[in-house]
Amino acid sequence: MALLTGIVTASLLIGCAAKKETPPTASASVGHKTSDGKSVKSGDDDLEEYGVLLIPDPLEPLNRATFTLNHGIYVILLRPISKGYTTVVPKLVRTGVHNAYENVKFPIRFVNDTLQGKFDRAGLETGKFLVNSVVGIGGLGRPSDHIPAMADIPAGNTGQTFAKWGIPHGAYLVLPVLGPSSVRDTVGLAGDYALNPVSWVTILFGGYAWTLAIPSVNTLRSLPVQMDIYDAATKDAIDPYVAARSAYVQFREEDAAK
Amino acid sequence: MNRLLLTLATSLLVQGGLCASTQVPEQRLKTAVDEVLAQAKSSSNPDELAGRLGPVLQKYLSFEAMTRRAVGPGWRQFSPSQKKEAAKLFTILIIRTYSSKFTPGMNPEILFKKAATPAPGRVEVPTTILYQGSKYGVTYRMEESEGWKITDVVIEGVSLVANYRTQFDSEFKKGGAEAVVGSLTQTVDQRK
Repeated sequence: MALLTGIVTASLLIGCAAKKETPPTASASVGHKTSDGKSVKSGDDDLEEYGVLLIPDPLEPLNRATFTLNHGIYVILLRPISKGYTTVVPKLVRTGVHNAYENVKFPIRFVNDTLQGKFDRAGLETGKFLVNSVVGIGGLGRPSDHIPAMADIPAGNTGQTFAKWGIPHGAYLVLPVLGPSSVRDTVGLAGDYALNPVSWVTILFGGYAWTLAIPSVNTLRSLPVQMDIYDAATKDAIDPYVAARSAYVQFREEDAAK
Repeated sequence: MNRLLLTLATSLLVQGGLCASTQVPEQRLKTAVDEVLAQAKSSSNPDELAGRLGPVLQKYLSFEAMTRRAVGPGWRQFSPSQKKEAAKLFTILIIRTYSSKFTPGMNPEILFKKAATPAPGRVEVPTTILYQGSKYGVTYRMEESEGWKITDVVIEGVSLVANYRTQFDSEFKKGGAEAVVGSLTQTVDQRK
């Protein structure tokens, strides 16, 4: 009996010790040195806690000009359109449209998961695509959310694949309208574009009015999210350009770690 | 014998949960998040929300450490009054930035995930916010000094402190402590 109690106590202690050794999460590494364990109280020795996130920005003057231009486009054009869309179109329809476009982007996720050797994830994506296309009626609904394994699959993308392959960002680029990017991720965007069935419609059937509707609705439905991200990164910033650049690098680093 | 085993097994389960070194900060964070959400839910406009969140955040965030780290090594060249001024302004800015993430009347669902212990006295709690069909990953970094305090909020991989660190750095290179405090004053005054 004493032995049993002993075993239980020992396993308890081991349980505690093991818990303390939980490795830091992926996000822990972003701009944060966590290996030292300095305390908050200690005077000035935590000043190098956060490094300055750097990305080569040789085109800064041009990038700043594009950034300012984009800001104008957002304020004058895209934000009102985005507001109009969220006001006029009911929430239920917006969610359905959003789900359907995300569902059809399945090739981007499948191909990139495969290229990164994440075969489990590629398989789950396939299952998710089938469930949502069939049960969710063409992807309007997202019944896969109720299947724990499929509820939270990080979305693969081409820029992420390049990052996984060890290709560095290259120079920072601010793209007109699209916003923060890098040389690597711009090529990645081109890959995503080619893998997105939404773009195949235009490529296959040419520029008829009805084919324009498909990418246009895609732009509309993604606007509110993009506006939110832009606002979150630049609101209350000391220098919105630097804030957006720093947020972009951190965001992509986190994405590559997924 | 069987009953004894059952008792032991039960106590093992209970203690297994309690012995986690992350339990105290996790509980602290849950209390903080609950308080923030209660304020968000009952506020009717953004200004009221920011006003109400201020005192709540003062309780749970370590603003002094956040300011120091956001400024970085340049902090050593700040005079005591500059340090005080910078911390005061940065506190206003953090409260504003954090408050702007909430919409008055919103009632999101928050899922707490398994906490990590990157170093002794430090805990990172990843959470998922579910709101209007969207998911956001928010990780809270906490440290123990006088009780557990939040030292950084990482939203979708973007750290609040790291983001200002980069911005303060370029200000500091331009004109030292004065430029940092000046830029802070300007940013805070912009939206008064």
